[in-house]
Amino acid sequence: MTDALLQLEGVGKDYAKIESRGGRIALVWDLLCGRGASHAFTALDGVSLTMQPGQSLGVIGENGAGKSTLLKVVAGVIKPTRGRVAVRGRVGALLELGSGFHPEYTGAQNIDLAAALLGISAAELAEKRDAIVRFADLGEHLDDPIKHYSSGMVVRLGFAVATALQPDVLITDEVLAVGDESFQKKCMAWMERYLSEGGTLLLCSHSMYHVQKLCRHALWLHQGRVERYGPAIEVTQAYLAWHEEKSGNAAPRPELRTGEGPDVHRVKSLTLEPGEFIAMGRPLTVRGEAYSPDGRAPVVLVGIVRADGTPVYGVATDMDGVVPAKGSGDRYGFTLSLPSLALLPGKYAVRAHALDPEGVYLFDHVEVPLTVTGESRELGLVRLEHEWRDVVRK
Amino acid sequence: MRSGYTSAMTVPGVPVEAGGRAYGPRALDLFAQFFRREATTRYLGSVTGLAWAIVHPIALLAVYHFVFTTIFRATGFAGASFLAFVAVALWPWLAAQEAIQRAAVSIPGYGGLIRKVAFPHEIVVYASVAATLALHFAGYVVVLAALRATGEPVHLIGLVLAIPLWAVMALAVTGIALVLAALQVFVRDVEHVLMPLLMILMYLTPILYPLSLVPGSLKPWVAANPFTWLVDRLRAALLDGRLAPEPGDLVALAVAVALFVAGRWMFRRLSPYFEDFV
Repeated sequence: MTDALLQLEGVGKDYAKIESRGGRIALVWDLLCGRGASHAFTALDGVSLTMQPGQSLGVIGENGAGKSTLLKVVAGVIKPTRGRVAVRGRVGALLELGSGFHPEYTGAQNIDLAAALLGISAAELAEKRDAIVRFADLGEHLDDPIKHYSSGMVVRLGFAVATALQPDVLITDEVLAVGDESFQKKCMAWMERYLSEGGTLLLCSHSMYHVQKLCRHALWLHQGRVERYGPAIEVTQAYLAWHEEKSGNAAPRPELRTGEGPDVHRVKSLTLEPGEFIAMGRPLTVRGEAYSPDGRAPVVLVGIVRADGTPVYGVATDMDGVVPAKGSGDRYGFTLSLPSLALLPGKYAVRAHALDPEGVYLFDHVEVPLTVTGESRELGLVRLEHEWRDVVRK
Repeated sequence: MRSGYTSAMTVPGVPVEAGGRAYGPRALDLFAQFFRREATTRYLGSVTGLAWAIVHPIALLAVYHFVFTTIFRATGFAGASFLAFVAVALWPWLAAQEAIQRAAVSIPGYGGLIRKVAFPHEIVVYASVAATLALHFAGYVVVLAALRATGEPVHLIGLVLAIPLWAVMALAVTGIALVLAALQVFVRDVEHVLMPLLMILMYLTPILYPLSLVPGSLKPWVAANPFTWLVDRLRAALLDGRLAPEPGDLVALAVAVALFVAGRWMFRRLSPYFEDFV
């Protein structure tokens, strides 16, 4: 055994698909025989994951990507169809709104029920009841049935109960989105303290802000499989970039199109230095070669677009009064140097176009991907030079 | 931080053991919670709930008494009056019937919990059966005491045997309830089939008539009904004051244990898939 608090090996979960009433009976028979469902939808597949004590992992992905299923598997609510799950320690799970509360019970009675479900003894509960009541901050509503509570109140109570038992692993599923401003702050503060004290967190959220703020690592699920796993900043940026691409040009990205025929201006090569990945603020050099059919130097346009095709900046040789230098044969070389790349972290592409010497006809278009790395909470595409005035340093 | 606890909950095909998780729910605490929930929300939730639980069997008894003694003028009830003869058997039957019917539909009521919290689902069925049987047993004792007070030849000492007899019944009822509750989650027809089936079974069990009135050719079939054994033993204990155990008791116990074990096996096979269907 390792010291891992949580270990998943090739975990998969299938949900039965039922087409008819007879299908239900057939399903029961399949399950009794120890077989899986014969018609199944795979919600989760081949997920392996290890969490050491003190780790914080954010699970991100589209709706239906399997995030909740994964969390439920870890919480023990569902049994995986394939693979192995080992949990060492106490799991506190806050899955959706009002996890495991009974609407007819009062807040106080639900604390008792939750304690029994979580395995807290009566003596331990007696010790912690005050802290729970204080954190939930329900006032006289504590003795009202939960069904009369607002959703924010239910979440407060849920969070208070789940956190009071000092879980070894805390699992939360998008609960921070509910509750008012002050309670969200209280939750964030609690989680930050919990993490700094060595707590382990498994968080599922659509808020990249929460994931980046609370989690050191992130897991991107796509259609039930792990798309990417790594440092939270990297994974969330890749995820956001993927979203931009998806909502942007749905058409396939133009590849290195080599125009046919000898009378077309073309970009023959395009390379980036230091490479596809570049840290924000570092120098970037774009190097390339263009072909001209008539012995006259072409105009070259180099531009940067965001992954979804939004133009960020473009500049052509004729705008700056330069021409590509003639190399061997019909080739004309060009190098564009950007001394400090002001692009914010994310996915981009560098495009180069070859035009006729008059700069009128756009003949060709070559694109290479560019990923800007780094940590930044700034918004937009580029970092503009700026300076705060009449402010005080924190 | 705590450490050193392992839970192996996921070898495919192997049921999750209630005590398998080091930090799982505490089965007894949970049972107590669910038992209280079943007992209170069911009977105390409505104004007349608790009264109805006692009034319903008494009303039934009164109707049967009217039909069988006033209209049919039936006789031959082992020396006791028809009232005492039927009461001794009617309460356990109604208790078993209600326990099965309620437990069969108990799982969906806990859907909110099942979807969000890990706990052994069978505790729901145990609590549902226990709450119903406990309530009706209390009613049973009250009615027997009332009959005794009105001069019926009821041997209250027979309750000493009635308790283990009810326990055997509870075991069997729990086994049946586990099967039906698990099936109901997947196939909603269970509850609709159950009602007429239990009604038919009641008339095939010697509750309203003694086994001696059953024609000879049919007698072995009626006698093979495990509930016939229970009714027979309860009448022997409470109406005749015969408390000695019989060899048949062991057979009945074996049947009850077998029903329980089989029901639990089936329930545990199906319960990991409840989350998707409740």
